[in-house]
Amino acid sequence: MNDLANLPHVQFSGQQASSPQPLSPHKDPHVIACANEVLSGFADLCRSLHHATILTDDGFEVASLADDVRQNGRVASMASSMQALGDAVAKDLRIGATEYIIIAATTGYVIQMRVPDNSMVLAAHFDAAETVGKALSVARLVATNMRTLISSEAA
Amino acid sequence: MTEHVILFAGPMGAGKTTAIESLSEIETIRTEAINTDRETADKDTTTVALDYGEITVGDEDKVRLYGLPGQRRFDFMWTILNERAVGLVLLVNNDAADPIKDLDEFLEEFGELHEKGGIVVCVTRTDVAPIPRIDKYAERVRELMPGRMIPVFTADARNSDQMRTCLMSLIANIEMTAMIAASEERAA
Ligand SMILES: Nc1nc2c(ncn2[C@@H]2O[C@H](COP(=O)(O)OP(=O)(O)OP(=O)(O)O)[C@@H](O)[C@H]2O)c(=O)[nH]1
Ligand SMILES: [Mg+2]
Repeated sequence: MNDLANLPHVQFSGQQASSPQPLSPHKDPHVIACANEVLSGFADLCRSLHHATILTDDGFEVASLADDVRQNGRVASMASSMQALGDAVAKDLRIGATEYIIIAATTGYVIQMRVPDNSMVLAAHFDAAETVGKALSVARLVATNMRTLISSEAA
Repeated sequence: MTEHVILFAGPMGAGKTTAIESLSEIETIRTEAINTDRETADKDTTTVALDYGEITVGDEDKVRLYGLPGQRRFDFMWTILNERAVGLVLLVNNDAADPIKDLDEFLEEFGELHEKGGIVVCVTRTDVAPIPRIDKYAERVRELMPGRMIPVFTADARNSDQMRTCLMSLIANIEMTAMIAASEERAA
């Protein structure tokens, strides 16, 4: 069996004890409360909304508008991958920042977009009864509300 | 000209993204997000979909390098990319809580790639944590996949020469598997 370890290595002086990290959004009770609040308003604004999740950029569920815990986790990780792939394509084509991503399917669609100024994403699943335009504008409103709520209550 | 699709799998922080960056001849495609799970790996970002890079081997063999997300909640990406792959670079960081268990888990998940082409195990961050020694990994690989030729290296994912050595040994195995399959086909 080969061993390449005889090449010189840079020895790090141990893992630096990192400075205390700010609480990540999916563990921060304030952020979770804000997310729950905006999501419940979302349901009122839009009857064709099936499911909505707010997630961290790295795919942890912050809050959801459905009770299937397993499904919520799944949506959060898939939405995180989709968002990152969208960003990668936009970057490669040099077309600026991703505004939103739409997956249109036969009986419904998914819209997702970043919560402005935060490393969080809103992912929402509508049934086909809604027009894309309406769903998009409501989703945008909800994402903006989330930003406003976090920053106002944090201040 | 043949095209190989090689996967880079392994736990969070093993160095998959770094290894592809070290190896690729094109600007890599990355899908990094801010890492909120600092307990598992204390680094700024983590891969949430895939890494992509390319390297030419020999005169014209193009090798496509795909890095997977290390975190299991992205395992749907593992499934998607696994279907296309003919080989696996399994990276395990020696400074993980239980790296031999990580080796077990990922060999269980991706062990079939040995039959499709080949597997090489690459132990990283041995400068940060000197144990377990490399023979522990080799022993475990023999236990889990007896009779298979699966080389085990230590390498620094940041070092392109070391990563190249790992990749070349994998490609040699893949080509041998393909030759054996072709000769068996002729014999049949
Ligand atoms: N000291 C040391 N650092 C290393 C070595 N190999 C890789 N690294 C570092 O370890 C870290 C690995 O991070 P990534 O490449 O993001 O790990 P990953 O496997 O892609 O992780 P996920 O995408 O989160 O699953 C980077 O900071 C590398 O610079 C090594 O042999 N020694
Ligand atoms: Mg990575």
